[in-house]
Amino acid sequence: MEATITQITSFIENFKLDFINNFITDNRWQYLVNGLGNTFLITLFAGIIGVVLGFLVAIIRSTADKTGKLGFLNAICKVYLTIIRGTPAMVQLLIIYYVIFDSVAIDKRLVAIISFGINSGAYVAEIVRSGIMSIDAGQTEAGRSLGFNYGQTMLYVVMPQAFKNVLPALANEFIVLLKETSICGYIGLMDLTRGGDIIRSRTFSAFMPLIAVALIYLTIVMILSSFVNRLERRLRASER
Amino acid sequence: MSVSNALFEIDNLCKSFGDNMVLNNISTQIQKGEVVVIIGPSGSGKSTFLRSLNLLEMPTSGHISFEGMDITAKNSDINKYRQKIGMVFQHFNLFPHMTILKNLTIAPMKLLKLSKAEAEETAMALLTRVGLAEKANAYPNQLSGGQKQRIAIVRALCMKPDVILFDEPTSALDPEMVGEVLEVMKGLAKEGMTMIVVTHEMGFAREVASRVLFIDEGVIVEEERPDVIFSNPRSERLKSFLSKVLI
Repeated sequence: MEATITQITSFIENFKLDFINNFITDNRWQYLVNGLGNTFLITLFAGIIGVVLGFLVAIIRSTADKTGKLGFLNAICKVYLTIIRGTPAMVQLLIIYYVIFDSVAIDKRLVAIISFGINSGAYVAEIVRSGIMSIDAGQTEAGRSLGFNYGQTMLYVVMPQAFKNVLPALANEFIVLLKETSICGYIGLMDLTRGGDIIRSRTFSAFMPLIAVALIYLTIVMILSSFVNRLERRLRASER
Repeated sequence: MSVSNALFEIDNLCKSFGDNMVLNNISTQIQKGEVVVIIGPSGSGKSTFLRSLNLLEMPTSGHISFEGMDITAKNSDINKYRQKIGMVFQHFNLFPHMTILKNLTIAPMKLLKLSKAEAEETAMALLTRVGLAEKANAYPNQLSGGQKQRIAIVRALCMKPDVILFDEPTSALDPEMVGEVLEVMKGLAKEGMTMIVVTHEMGFAREVASRVLFIDEGVIVEEERPDVIFSNPRSERLKSFLSKVLI
C-alpha cells in the first residue's frame, strides 16, 4: 500500500519535472506556438490557393466534358492532375524548394504555401468536378431555358448546389492538408511538428513533446470537423 | 420574308443522334396566340421537336425562325431568344437551393435587370394567381409535385415570355395533381398565351388546343383542329395511336 502511494507520487513528480523540462525551461513552449503559427499560415494560404486553382481546373474540365470546348486547357489540366496526384507531396515540396527555387533567396513558408497550394488544387479539382457532374442535367437546362448563358448557369444554378454536395469532401481535404504540412521540416521549416521535434532533440525526452504535438493537431481537426458539421446542417435547410 | 405574324417558322428541321434520325424534315408554322398540342407515341420525336424550338437540342439541319429572326443562324444570340421562350419541364427542374421566391425572381433580376422589388411584386402577383402565395419562402423540396409544376409555370411567366413550351408537364405527377396543373394551363390559354404542349392528356388537347400535331417517327403525320383529329383521323397510324390512348 505504502509502496504504491510512493510510486504514484514519484510518477506525478516525474511527470511534473518532465513537463517543466520540455515546455517551461528556456521557454521551449515557444517552439510549439511558433510552429503552430507557421502550420496555420501555410495551411490557410495553401488552402486558398488550392480552392481557387481547384475550382478553376474543375470548371475547365467539366466544361470540356459537357460542351467539347476548351480542349487545349483541358489537356493542360489533365497533365497537371496526373503529375500532382501521381507523386508524393513531399517529393513535390523538395523539388520546388531545392530545384525550382534553388538559387533564389525566398521565405521557406512561401515555398511551402506554393507547393501545398498546387498539390491541394489537384485534389480539390477532382472533388469539385465530381460535384459539378453530380448535378442533374435538368438544372442546367432550366437555367439555359430562362436565358442564362453557360457561365451564369454555372454561377447561379450549378455551382451552389455542387459546392453544397462536396463541402464535406472539401473540408476533409483541408484537414488532410493541415496534417500534410507536417512534412515541412524536410526543407528546414519550423512548423508544429518540427517544433516538437526540436524540443525532443534538446531534452532527449520524446514522449512529452510528440504527444503534445499530436494533441494539438487532434484538437484543431476536431474543432474544424465540428465547424463543418454545423455548416453542413445549415446548408441542408433547403432539403427539409 | 413573309408578312405573316408567325411566331415560329420551322423549315425542314432534321435532328439525328448518331445514326438515329429523330426528326425528319419537319416544317410548320406556329402563330401568335395558338395553343398547339403535340401528341404521338413515345420515341416519336415530339419532345426533341419541342426542345429544338429553344435550341436545347441543336438541329442537325434546317432552320427555325422566331419572331422573324433565324435563331439557328451561326451568329444568333440564343440566350436573348430564350428569355422570350419560356419552358416547363416534365421534372419541374426548380432550383432546390433557392426559395420559391428566389426561383421566380433570379432570372428577371439578372437578365431583365428588374429591381428586387419589381421582380418580387410580379412574382407574388403570379403566385397568388396560382394559389401558392404562402409558399414564397418555402424551398422546392417542401412542395408536392403539382405545386412544384405550378411554380415552374410561374417561373416561366415571370420572364414575360411570348410563348411557353411545355414538355410533358403532367407526366411525372400523381394522378390527383394533374388537374391543378392543367387548370393553370387552361387559364393561360384563355388569356391568349401562345403555348406549345407535348402531352398525353388527350382531354386537354381536345378542350384547349387550337391545333394538334400528331408526330410519329420524326414526321408530322397529321396537323388539324382537335375536333378533326379526334373524331376524324385519316391516317392508320393516328387511328391506331388514338385507339390505344383513348379509352
